Order: sequence, then C-alpha cells, then structure tokens
Amino acid sequence: MSNLEKYVSAFTSTFLVDESALAHLKYQDIAAWDSVGHMSLMAALEEAFGIEMDIDDIIEFSSFEVGRTILSKYNVQME
Amino acid sequence: MVEANKVPVMDIRAIIKHQRNRYPVLLIDKIVELVPGERATGIKCFTYNEWYFPGHFDDEPNVPGFVQIESLVQTFILTFLCKPEYAGMKTNFVSINNIRFKKKIVPGDVLRIEARLKTFKRGIAMGSAESFVDGEQACSAEFVVAVPDILNQFKPKP
Repeated sequence: MSNLEKYVSAFTSTFLVDESALAHLKYQDIAAWDSVGHMSLMAALEEAFGIEMDIDDIIEFSSFEVGRTILSKYNVQME
Repeated sequence: MVEANKVPVMDIRAIIKHQRNRYPVLLIDKIVELVPGERATGIKCFTYNEWYFPGHFDDEPNVPGFVQIESLVQTFILTFLCKPEYAGMKTNFVSINNIRFKKKIVPGDVLRIEARLKTFKRGIAMGSAESFVDGEQACSAEFVVAVPDILNQFKPKP
C-alpha cells in the first residue's frame, strides 16, 4: 500500500467517509471529525506511518490537504 | 479478608478529590488496590437505602445496569485521575463496548471492581473493567473515555 493509500485509508476508516469527499475536507466539516475524532485520526496516522506527532503539528492538522504537508515533515512523502 | 473491610488506598474523601461524580451518582466507596496508569480495584457496598432500589423494583430490588456500568467506569477513570496532573478533571464517555451482565446484584452485596487502563494518550483513555460479587463475575465492559480539558489542548485551530 502506498503512503497516499495509507493516508486516505486513515481518513475513510476513522470517519467512515467516502474517498471522493476527502480532497477539500476540513476539521469539523463532518460530525465525525470533532475533537475526539481528531485524536482517533492522529492515532490512526501514527500507527499507519510509525511516527509520533508533535503537539503543534496535531493542532495545525486542520484539513486533509494541510495534513499531507505536515506529514512530509515526518518523511512521509505522498505523490 | 472480607472485601468490604479491606483497607483503602483511596478512601471516599480521596475519591471525591480526584474525580467529579457526587451524590447521587458517586457509585464507588473506596479503592483498595491502585497502580497509577495501569489498574485500580474498587469496592462498592449496596444497601437498600440506595435511591434506585425502591423503583428498580419495589417487589424485587436489584442494581440497574446503568449503575453497574457507572461503577465500572468510575473505578476505571481513577486509573489515571489518581495522578496529580489529572486529579479532578471531568471525563466523558466516548464509547462502551462488549457489555456483559452475568449476575443480579441485590441489597447487601459487595461489588469488587477490577479496572485496567490499556492506553492513555492526548486525553483519550481506553481500557476495561469487570466486577465480582463473592468471586462470581457480575458485569464487564470496555471503555473509551475522553478528558475534555486535555483533549481541547490538541484541537485544530478554527
């Protein structure tokens, strides 16, 4: 599974949302992405990529698109 | 030693100090074993003076399921609220899974509750608890509990 597939899978499995809705998805756009859902997403990403995210990055992680940039800091590249 | 007579490591005053449930929904009496961040064992003694017995039921008093679950989770949250940095914080249920009721609990019964914390990260606690009366399993469940005061520190900016 590619990094992009892992990234998409973390969102779809955590929020039970269709992949087609992810490109412009932001925090609190859907009920499932609330503060508890956010922690679940962070845990899913950390497990998927074997990383531990800093608190500042968790706070900055406000959308699907922003998350891709943040993960690049952890050497998670997505083409 | 009889469960009800075990020496507490947290008495009712310590329980009140470390968690926010109060009468009539404070549903543990003492903690008799505690490994902070790992596990806790609580005791709850039921008498007919409990507020729910006259209504559940007047001809057959027994402990309602929601009271049993609350007793389990109140022991569970003390696995982390016993730590000074978390003492007194409020908690919210996120999910309860795999609930099993095995035994009717009646006035006079002493409930022993064994709770285990699996993970605690960024204000989300996951774990389980099971209860016993005279060594016989009464109830068990798995919990995910949030601590909003911690969780809110990690919320994305609007």
